[in-house]
Amino acid sequence: MAPPMIDPALFDQLKDNIEKDSSIRKDLEQIIEELNQNVSYTQGVLTKIHSTPRSKYPALLSQVESGIKKELETTTRLAQFASQYPYYKYNYKWGRTLQDAIATVLLHAWLGGMGSDSKPGEVGRLLTLEEVGHVFEVPVNLKDRDAFHITIEEYLLALISVVEDLSRLAMNSVTLGDTELAVQISGFIKDLHGGFQMLNLKNDILRKRVDSVKYAVKKVEDVVYDLSLRNLIPAKDAQ
Amino acid sequence: MEEGKMDGAPAPKRAKIGSENNPKPIDNSTGNTMSGFKRDRHGNEKRFNNGPRPAPKPKVAVVRNAYTPMFEQLRDELDAHHDRRDRLGKVSRDITGLSKKIIFALQRVRTINPDLPPQIQAEVDSRLAEISKLLATMAPDVQGINRYRYSRSLMCLEELAEALTFAHYLKTQTLLKPDELSAFVEELTRKGAVSEDGAKDKDEPMPDAGNTPAPASGEQETTDNDNKLAEKEEQRQPKLEPLTMSTTEDDYFYGVFDLSGEMMRFATTSTALTGKMAGAEDERTIVEDMHELGSFFEMLPMKAGDRKQWEKKLDVMRQSVRKVERLGYDRMIRGSERPQGWVPDLTADQPGDDEE
Repeated sequence: MAPPMIDPALFDQLKDNIEKDSSIRKDLEQIIEELNQNVSYTQGVLTKIHSTPRSKYPALLSQVESGIKKELETTTRLAQFASQYPYYKYNYKWGRTLQDAIATVLLHAWLGGMGSDSKPGEVGRLLTLEEVGHVFEVPVNLKDRDAFHITIEEYLLALISVVEDLSRLAMNSVTLGDTELAVQISGFIKDLHGGFQMLNLKNDILRKRVDSVKYAVKKVEDVVYDLSLRNLIPAKDAQ
Repeated sequence: MEEGKMDGAPAPKRAKIGSENNPKPIDNSTGNTMSGFKRDRHGNEKRFNNGPRPAPKPKVAVVRNAYTPMFEQLRDELDAHHDRRDRLGKVSRDITGLSKKIIFALQRVRTINPDLPPQIQAEVDSRLAEISKLLATMAPDVQGINRYRYSRSLMCLEELAEALTFAHYLKTQTLLKPDELSAFVEELTRKGAVSEDGAKDKDEPMPDAGNTPAPASGEQETTDNDNKLAEKEEQRQPKLEPLTMSTTEDDYFYGVFDLSGEMMRFATTSTALTGKMAGAEDERTIVEDMHELGSFFEMLPMKAGDRKQWEKKLDVMRQSVRKVERLGYDRMIRGSERPQGWVPDLTADQPGDDEE
């Protein structure tokens, strides 16, 4: 008697695997949705920077910090769950959300938050990829094992969001009477632009977003030009 | 790093290629391929015939700032990733081509039989030997976390799965199992590394597509953690063992979807040229096999995350099943009447379906 065309045990094996995969995706989607909400709230609070003078930052930043705390908690749960499976199998599901979370952390730190006893926060501080990893308590650019981590692409895309936000802040800080901040933002964005120019980019999402940085450069240059025309640049050298 | 930099030195005099003064070849790494100069037939840069070379367009000098070192590091990491992806993509295209050649060779088989006709077996073996070497070159780049990272550059494994399952069917009239496929590809990869050393080459018989070795771990490897298993396996073995790579579940599924198309083509040709439905007539023929395969996939839940692709492939499989059904019917009705070489008209009752 010839063997059957298909081994009878194969169906259940494959069906179980497909169902397991579906269940993993559902669970992931739940966690990611929660992270999305945490991020949306924090982003909402951050919009207030465009209408808050620097003197009132401490209160605002601590409100941002409470939003970030929630992001971190949810990310830890996401990391624990996702690390059970091959990273690159499902990472596209949380990439965008995680990026946005990273952007809130970067912006918070740049505005003077994320201080610690050993290293107080200061305006203009750019967290490195490693420092972001420490904040989220996850590895970064992981290569030697397969687990949840933050990638270089996510960091760079988050940084670009921050650049876009800051270019808007440059204009609004002038309105708030804080020309020094506008000048500092301008220098920062131009430096970053130089950095982005060093990357060898392929025709992917990163390349498209990097293109937007030059528009941010133009915006802040226009602001600084407007200021200098009217002698509104602060007397001391901008950092 | 010299990208983007242009020193203000005066234009070099005409020089032969290879001499020190000859400007270096176009640097493609910046993506700025417009910076080259036209050269004459001696390979020397062309200059304006009447007048000095115009001043080069001033390029923005790269000014280092506080963030430059960070970006340089990130750049190096991204470059390594892109290079790896491009390398894998090139080899993948080669493996795809070779797999297709195997399939074409197998389509010259006329009956299901444990032994393929010698010439066809020889060609299959020779293609597998080439694939084997190529897989071995890929293996270092797809270890651990990289296995899924570069899966879009590894589409060749679907084509290879199609070829191997097809060969298996023609020899055994059964469907190769995913862990058998995986084990076979791992073995191919290992052998490819060995023959690179020149130790054993053509003298060693290639693993026959029909005689798949037992799954390496002795248990089913179709879990989500295919690459983790490969990684563990790599650690278990002594350091001298060559690296290996294996197929994922998706490679298997999409390979088998395409297998149904090849089975349909095989059924069409073999029926026309032999006058009989392929398979052991007293047991089951390819018609029943196609039905079983079709129903198997109809019953399986759809794989999440790729619904559109799955639906498309499933639809094509359905059409293949119906074409073979038609063959079976025609054979039953008209079997004895048909002259040798007559091919049934498959387009009659299926408007708008494609051959592929």
